[in-house]
Amino acid sequence: MNILASYHWLKEYIKTNLSPEEFAKEFSLRSMSVESIDDIGARCANIVVGDLLTIAQHPNADRLHVVTVNIGKKEVTIVCGGTNLVEGMRVAVALPGAKVFSGNGERREINLSTIRDVESAGMLCGPAEIGFDALQVGERSIWSLGSITDAPAGTPLADALGLDDVVFDVEITTNRPDAKGIVGLAREAGAAVNAKFSWEPTELLRGEGVSPISVIIDDKKGCRRQMAAVMSDVVIGSSPWWIQKRLVLNGLRPINAIVDITNYVMLEYGQPLHSFDLNAIEGDELHVRRGTSGEEIFALNGKTYSLDGHLVIADAVRPLDIAGIMGGENSGIKKETTSLVLVASTFDAQSIRRTGRALDLSSDAQTLFEKGLSVEMPAIALARAIELIKEICGGVVVGEVIDERVAPYEPKIFSVDFEKIRSHIGIDISDAQMKKTLTDLGFSLEKSGKVFNATVPYWREEDIEGEIDFTEEVARMYGYHNMPSVLPASRLPDGVDDASLVWEQWLKRVLAERGFVECFSNSLVSVADLQSYGISPKDALNVLNPLTADLTHLRPTLTPSMLRAIERNQALVPSAKTFEVSRVYIPREGDLPDERLMFLAGMYGIFDAEKTFMELRGLLEWIAARTGIAFTFERLDDENHWHPGRSVSVHSDGVRVGVLGQVSADFQEAFGIHRPVFLAKIDVEAFMPRMKLTHSYRPVPTFPSVRRDIAVLLDERSEFEKVRDVVCGSGALVRACDVVETYRGSEVPAGKKSVTLSVTMMAPDRTLTGEEVDTLIATVTRELALRVGGIVRS
Amino acid sequence: MTDVFQQLQADALQAFSAVKTAEDLEAVRIDFIGRKGRMAEAMKDLAGLSDDERREMGKHANDVKRMLEGAFDAAQSRVADAAKSERYGKEWIDVTLPGSTSAIGHLHLTTQGIEEISCIFSHLGFVRVHHPEVDWDYYAFESLNMPKEHPARDDWETFFVADGDSVMTGDLGKVVLTPHTSNGQVREMQKGKLPIRMISIGKCYRRQSSARHLSMFHQFEGLMIDEKVTVTELKGVFDYFVKRYFGPDRATRLRPYHFRFTEPSFELDVSCSVCNGTGKVNDVKCKLCKEGWLELGGAGMVHPHVLKAGGLDPEKYSGFAFGWGLERTMMMRSGINIDDIRTLYKNDLRFLTQF
Repeated sequence: MNILASYHWLKEYIKTNLSPEEFAKEFSLRSMSVESIDDIGARCANIVVGDLLTIAQHPNADRLHVVTVNIGKKEVTIVCGGTNLVEGMRVAVALPGAKVFSGNGERREINLSTIRDVESAGMLCGPAEIGFDALQVGERSIWSLGSITDAPAGTPLADALGLDDVVFDVEITTNRPDAKGIVGLAREAGAAVNAKFSWEPTELLRGEGVSPISVIIDDKKGCRRQMAAVMSDVVIGSSPWWIQKRLVLNGLRPINAIVDITNYVMLEYGQPLHSFDLNAIEGDELHVRRGTSGEEIFALNGKTYSLDGHLVIADAVRPLDIAGIMGGENSGIKKETTSLVLVASTFDAQSIRRTGRALDLSSDAQTLFEKGLSVEMPAIALARAIELIKEICGGVVVGEVIDERVAPYEPKIFSVDFEKIRSHIGIDISDAQMKKTLTDLGFSLEKSGKVFNATVPYWREEDIEGEIDFTEEVARMYGYHNMPSVLPASRLPDGVDDASLVWEQWLKRVLAERGFVECFSNSLVSVADLQSYGISPKDALNVLNPLTADLTHLRPTLTPSMLRAIERNQALVPSAKTFEVSRVYIPREGDLPDERLMFLAGMYGIFDAEKTFMELRGLLEWIAARTGIAFTFERLDDENHWHPGRSVSVHSDGVRVGVLGQVSADFQEAFGIHRPVFLAKIDVEAFMPRMKLTHSYRPVPTFPSVRRDIAVLLDERSEFEKVRDVVCGSGALVRACDVVETYRGSEVPAGKKSVTLSVTMMAPDRTLTGEEVDTLIATVTRELALRVGGIVRS
Repeated sequence: MTDVFQQLQADALQAFSAVKTAEDLEAVRIDFIGRKGRMAEAMKDLAGLSDDERREMGKHANDVKRMLEGAFDAAQSRVADAAKSERYGKEWIDVTLPGSTSAIGHLHLTTQGIEEISCIFSHLGFVRVHHPEVDWDYYAFESLNMPKEHPARDDWETFFVADGDSVMTGDLGKVVLTPHTSNGQVREMQKGKLPIRMISIGKCYRRQSSARHLSMFHQFEGLMIDEKVTVTELKGVFDYFVKRYFGPDRATRLRPYHFRFTEPSFELDVSCSVCNGTGKVNDVKCKLCKEGWLELGGAGMVHPHVLKAGGLDPEKYSGFAFGWGLERTMMMRSGINIDDIRTLYKNDLRFLTQF
């Protein structure tokens, strides 16, 4: 919630010589953030008041005129497209150097120009071109200043219209609706920039005699106070420029004097008011009650709302007003209105809020009421509105002003301990300074033993909830910028980093170091993607109010996101290694879902299936070796999800923890992926408690090992693990057998493959001789032939 | 005798200066100054001279020998230099070829940010913790001094979690996708271990999506609770973080704000890097910031109601908390200037491999 605050207006209540920039800085540091400063005077630079002398048709353009304008010291000729030009009209003339707003919010500079062969010395402006979009004068119309100013031609526009001003755009925090009015903001500013604040509320003309109407608060929870004043003999015209100006600077559109005055008072005090045409009220009672089934209202915005259960102000037969939000069209003020009822209320914030949400309706009044307004404000605002109406529209108050309350007002009182405030902030602020701060903000203090009793001013009654709030008042007015920066020096916590976060980070680094690119997908996935991966939406939690149809379900697996990412990338990046290490959400009966850390590495678009598989398997084996766990792999028969010839399940400590292999043709197709995809997916939490990065020491061997490479011709489908067992079983001195390369080429017979093995041999007590090695290799050769039909090629 | 040595000297110097290869040099060395070389032979003849003559000739012979050894050393370096020059002359590579690299992968920008930021807070003794992303309303709102239907809740456009058509509900209220990492505050206090210095970086969700807002984003939440924790310490932690993360040139500002779960509350601003904190670029209003400042995020002293909800006595303990958007913080520093922040999570490999 922001307020656009005129500096001139603020200065009617505070005395300060600060420049706008200094004011904004000081105010932001102690109160609320000034988000921008709009220099209205600068907007009007090089724009002057002019008197239209002559109007002629443009010789070369049907829709343009050539006019002469008196701009004081001289007359100028201007080409103008305005449709409401009349001789003698007072206009705003933008001269060369002026910057006017064009439709898109940008500003363009006015220059001497020639328009269809006629020279133009400037431009006649509409209000929107000077940035007052709210002031509507009609399509292609020029702003007529005759009723606004009688300043001589040539007077700078800012001087003539009192626009030599700046407007601060201030963010009002939700707890401070009191500062959403200029008076409240000025009070706050007075304390923040140390300027004297002075303001006296208007005295309420109570009126005399019996009021033509009475007010009944039926819903005492929804409405704490309802005031009403009846006025007759009012004459409703346009409001004067000084009111219109302030509305327009706030982006509010002037409508008629009564509506403008109620809006003006809302800007002044942050208290909304509403007015009814007295003649539109049936009967002589106004009820503040809940709407009933079937009741509707045709509101001022031209829409009809059903009011069942919502707070309304109603006459004898129908609701006139959605309480605190918007009035009805039928009972609104019209130009012809001569008698009216002005109402001012204090509504329950939650009730207003609920109705606003339910009807999807908001208004300036609603934005204020739902924050919780002071029960003391209606009288002040009503008094001011009556004063302004009498001044501008004439009229008299008829009968007594009605004031119904559900309970008398009792100010809140809290005990405040200055010592505690000091220790909480951490600096030594004197009692005197604290007293001054709190007094400036409107609190009254009374000493009571070692502490003070602080009475909360009425405009803060909704905001101040406890003693701790006083700490904030003192601290912010002292200025956080004035406090020292101190590193915490207290005791250290004895915890360690969360293990899942540590392993998540470690696994990501391992993957990145091996050339994998990290993907980061939304935790929410679409039903379509779940189903494409064979998961029923019932097996995943969903969000009740999704933002978009493709982000509806909390993913119970990372795979669909990865397949979708591959599908989106395949055209532009034909092959890649990708990964995601993240949490999935497994539903649990009657409890929050299990948020499990999962590991998913993928390779796509790479054609050597065996090598691709080996790389992913090697990755898992390396992780296992490094973290002191073990993985075993078993051929997997799950044709729905995985290619049966190219996939394994992964086990650790006897428990299945994941899968490694090629995604089944069906799923590949379901995701629209054109090339093979290999994945390694692991449930990290299944073995995380056993993972560690510390390793125990093993003595390094005293004697060197010998490595010999041998090429073995094997059947295509003979498996390495069996071959390795044969080689390593050939003798105690054979320590390891690895595969170097597999070759299937023209020299290898069909149905066979040539596998180059490296055989590592070592004795614990001596260096092996050449003869010993030859003998060992001969044994290996013999065993391979005998047990797996392998032929060692020389 | 003198003539013999003079001749030998002349011959040897001639030979040493003539050799071209290491092999030739070795042959010449053996021939002249080897153990059985010509110099050694000539020295033997000194034995037949008188004492005086021998003393004089011996001195002369030693001078010659030293000279020859010097000549050998010189020839050796000359030959070695020549060999090196010849090798260098033959060996050549094209140094204008483009650089190559082994296929290194890429950590996501967000992961890099998480690593970097947790590292900075780790220096201050903050411990990394993890709290649920899918959580009860109680932890996301109610225990944070935001009772049901409080207007402050509007600032968090919240996703509700369902199991089918109806919202999941339990003793602790509805289930939501947490809209902020502050849901970890009361959970951390309920662990019952004090003092607390936690940093929790996690995914958050809000019903919003625009070039500047993500429906899934990350926050990092700091919480410190002990006896007598003060505002000035929060300021210290904030300043330390900003100096480490953004660099010493950036100015900081604490500005009052309002949050339900902290009191006092403030927002932390860092000076804008585009306009250098002036609010203007070439006399035109800076498009990135508000009057020279960028909002980093919210912070404050933990509200007594929140401490109570966490089972702590507000009379004895106090603390501070902060929660800042990770993506926003990264963008504020890096100058990456991603027009549309949603690009971060679109998984376009051409984007991901840039970082």
